[in-house]
Amino acid sequence: MAAGIRMSFQEVSPFLGNQWVGWENYATVLTNSRFHQAVSNTLVLGVGQSFGAVLVGFILALLLEGPSRSLWFVRTAVFLPVVTASAVVGEIWRIIYFPSPDGFMNKVLGLVGIDPIRYLEDTSVALYAVMTVGIWSSAPYYMVIFLAGLAGVDRTLYEAAAIDGARLRHRIVSITIPALRPAIMIVSILAAVRALRIFTDVWVLTGGGPAGSTQVWMTQIYTQGFERNNLGVASAASILLLIASVLLTVVAIYFTRNKEDR
Amino acid sequence: MKQHIAEKQRQTGRLKCSGTVLATLLATTTAGYAQEALEVWSRSGPQAAATYEAVFEAFTEKTGIPVEYLTALQFDTQLQARVAARDLPDVLIYDQSSMAAYANAGWILPIDPTSLAGHDEVSDVSWDSVRMADGSTYGVPFSQHAQITFVRKDWRENLGFDVPTTHEELIALATAFATGDPDGNGVDGDTYGMAVPGTTNRGFFAWWMFSYLAQQGAHYVEGGDGKYEVTINNPEGVAAVEWLYDAFCGDPNLAQPGAMTNASATPFFAEGQAGIYQTGPYAITSFTDKIGAENLEIIIAPAGSAGSTTLTERTSIYFGSTTTMPEAQKALAEFLISEEGQTLGMTAPGQPVVRLPVNVNLNAAEIYGDERFVTVAEQLEMSELMPSDIDFTAARLEIAETFQTLFSQCNDDVVEQLDVLAGLIADELDAVNALK
Repeated sequence: MAAGIRMSFQEVSPFLGNQWVGWENYATVLTNSRFHQAVSNTLVLGVGQSFGAVLVGFILALLLEGPSRSLWFVRTAVFLPVVTASAVVGEIWRIIYFPSPDGFMNKVLGLVGIDPIRYLEDTSVALYAVMTVGIWSSAPYYMVIFLAGLAGVDRTLYEAAAIDGARLRHRIVSITIPALRPAIMIVSILAAVRALRIFTDVWVLTGGGPAGSTQVWMTQIYTQGFERNNLGVASAASILLLIASVLLTVVAIYFTRNKEDR
Repeated sequence: MKQHIAEKQRQTGRLKCSGTVLATLLATTTAGYAQEALEVWSRSGPQAAATYEAVFEAFTEKTGIPVEYLTALQFDTQLQARVAARDLPDVLIYDQSSMAAYANAGWILPIDPTSLAGHDEVSDVSWDSVRMADGSTYGVPFSQHAQITFVRKDWRENLGFDVPTTHEELIALATAFATGDPDGNGVDGDTYGMAVPGTTNRGFFAWWMFSYLAQQGAHYVEGGDGKYEVTINNPEGVAAVEWLYDAFCGDPNLAQPGAMTNASATPFFAEGQAGIYQTGPYAITSFTDKIGAENLEIIIAPAGSAGSTTLTERTSIYFGSTTTMPEAQKALAEFLISEEGQTLGMTAPGQPVVRLPVNVNLNAAEIYGDERFVTVAEQLEMSELMPSDIDFTAARLEIAETFQTLFSQCNDDVVEQLDVLAGLIADELDAVNALK
């Protein structure tokens, strides 16, 4: 990390000697329009994917909680995307998203009369298509954390609520969610940090295209470092990402503590 | 006292002994680290790697110099790691387009062509291509070819079209492939006109587009000897880009679905979904296997207003600057440009790594025993290299990204976007002191 910080203040050229350039690399990152686009895409993707994955993980946990053997099998099947390599997931979804009318997803949507969509080609759709893949592949991970949390919920509370005539949604809002608050917090932090450094999904699905519409912070770092050979700028961008991740975690911990204190 | 002295002597003896052991160990370790094999890298798939291995085996047999060969598909990423460790491969076999960037960064060594045995058997145009703006030479030419046009012959004949010789005929054929039923499966429009590699990875799209622009007299930049001016937004540039814009954004879209984000367009042609594909002759073997020689034709690029020019692609040999085996580097380069090395690169099992020889004594069509290479060689005569005496990498990435944007969004602002692109290219040229 020390080397990364040092490089972020240098024009890096191991064979000709690194030149000290002060804050220039940071200025380049902060003023570069591609990085601006990457920030907004990363935020949209981060918020959407975190929220979506946590929500889907929570719903899956509610649906699949229980000791029966068939549920155990379904839980294992649902968990598969988490243990599948991201590159493989990306390739599978490229096939699912194939943009011609006889592509898998388009065929399914065609059954309900929706016109074919160019998922990864249409600049206004591509980011959401990537987001869907991210939700699909990370929600089961959060499901497992929620399942562990659900196991600790006092059953008698549900029984008491049922006797009082509480409906399902009342039980979820008044018993399940409060009991899962620590799990929700941990999962949200994990999801947000994971979304900030998303790379493989985007790289395999779109390579940051079309027209930079799925360019995120990490793909920009890769492009700067390895395609444009600006390791100094890439290091500066990495340090900024590190600071953002730490800040995000600190803020999340602060709010968790406040809630616990109250 | 005596006892004390004896103890001291024993200690000294032990120290001496440990010292000897340590020295022996160090010597052994150092000897273990001494380089025994010439480390060579190329960016090749498994088939081409098999060919390289056969070539290096022959080299080792002839010279006694062992080669440790690595094929790095993520060449630039893996090379960066070695740059950071300040320990580069001894020899790199890679695109000509990377030479200037590597030379400017001090990763590769200058080469005196006349010091290489057999240098006079390599064509002058090949030696010119590895010369930097300041006149120094940093590479040894190894392979050359121009992008060629593949057409599904059976599809063309099914629809009753002649071999296209002009841009108009090319578009008419692509349109027929995209809307008709060339594969005879009874369904109209389930095939695509052209397979297009629209990826911005390594700026690939800029390479592909170069040919179609040049055929209409348009170029990203024009000049030479290290100084270039941006010409992509001149009237020829605008007209040529508008022509391509119609192919991508018109109805029907002539490219395969997903063209702008596909990592590779090759499967679309190889698996019978698209009917026209412009790429390098390295694909001939795999296309012949998949489609059948009788269904595959290689044609000279259909001419635009300025002819049938396509992009020249070259592979060169570079000497890593941290080498401890300079003589072995030279020996390998000499072998690779010799008639024996070049022939093996074309014929060893796998995929040809020498597409067309740089050695003037060799005739590709004869060696391959394949008349189609006459067309490949003819196309090379009508081809142009993108600037390679300057570091054009950043400009190439800007070009690929701009055109991917233009053809993805299809929002009709060709002139405006070309003006913006011209500014971006000028900035990048200025940054490497290459703006005229």
